[in-house]
Amino acid sequence: MFGKKQKKEVNTEVDLVAFISLLSVCICFLLLTTIWIQIASMNVKQAVGGQAAAGKPKPEMWVVMKDQGELQFKLRHTPSKITRSFGKIKIPGIEGKPDFTELASYLGKLNGEYQDLSMALIRPAEKTPFEDIIELMDVFRKQGIEDLGVTPL
Amino acid sequence: MFNQSTSSAGLSGVSFGKGKKKRNLVATVMLTSLVDTFSVLVIYLLVNFSTTGELLYMSEGMELPAASKTAQLERNVVVKVEKNKLYIEEEEIPTQSLVKTLIDMKKNWEKYYPDTEFTGAMTIQADRRQTYSLLSHVIQAGGHAGYSDINFAVIRK
Repeated sequence: MFGKKQKKEVNTEVDLVAFISLLSVCICFLLLTTIWIQIASMNVKQAVGGQAAAGKPKPEMWVVMKDQGELQFKLRHTPSKITRSFGKIKIPGIEGKPDFTELASYLGKLNGEYQDLSMALIRPAEKTPFEDIIELMDVFRKQGIEDLGVTPL
Repeated sequence: MFNQSTSSAGLSGVSFGKGKKKRNLVATVMLTSLVDTFSVLVIYLLVNFSTTGELLYMSEGMELPAASKTAQLERNVVVKVEKNKLYIEEEEIPTQSLVKTLIDMKKNWEKYYPDTEFTGAMTIQADRRQTYSLLSHVIQAGGHAGYSDINFAVIRK
């Protein structure tokens, strides 16, 4: 202290109060403006009249959604062994809704046997709820069947 | 994040007089942890900041279906189906004139954006409980008007 030359202070203090105020304002703004629900889209093609007719026809699956949640399947342009095993299958509904667990299991087995199927055309019934159609499409996409189409009534 | 552990206002260990030491009345606030928490919150909120929700106007009581394998929502013609009524860009459209309106919108696109190719994409926004009968009508009308690429608006799971 005395007699010696006073050392210059090296440590500096950051003014945290201003920084905290800035962060608080940022948090309030972001909390007010952030959209918590993430809206996305489920892309489909119109099944009738949308596909090109030229070339070798691609293997496809037709799914008919009946009232009471029953699902009927039909395979086209697939090898006869696959068509015999997996074509013309019916999955009964549960309490008026399609059995999506059974559907996932069926598609998983089909995918295990035959990987070339990438197209499914869905024909819902007049009274089929929109959420059932979307859930069905979601199950197909999860099983690797990406090209989906819907047919008008 | 910051090495400073006490506030600049923190005056600790002040004692006066002789004898019994007075109890310290000034408390120091640990600002570092507070700043860290705030920073993490800001980063989390910035990451979750999404603008796609503004593409659709959600009416009260409308619930979109949920799906996990979805794509990014893009801006195109939005047909809203609500309580058995059809709306295009929030304007109510009679069911019979849906095809005509969609064709007009397509013509307007070609007129205003002559250098851009018309994508033929249409977004259908409908309540999850909506039956397929009216949706089918919209899809069919879209097909007639040249909108073969259909996007159903959903909530990402």
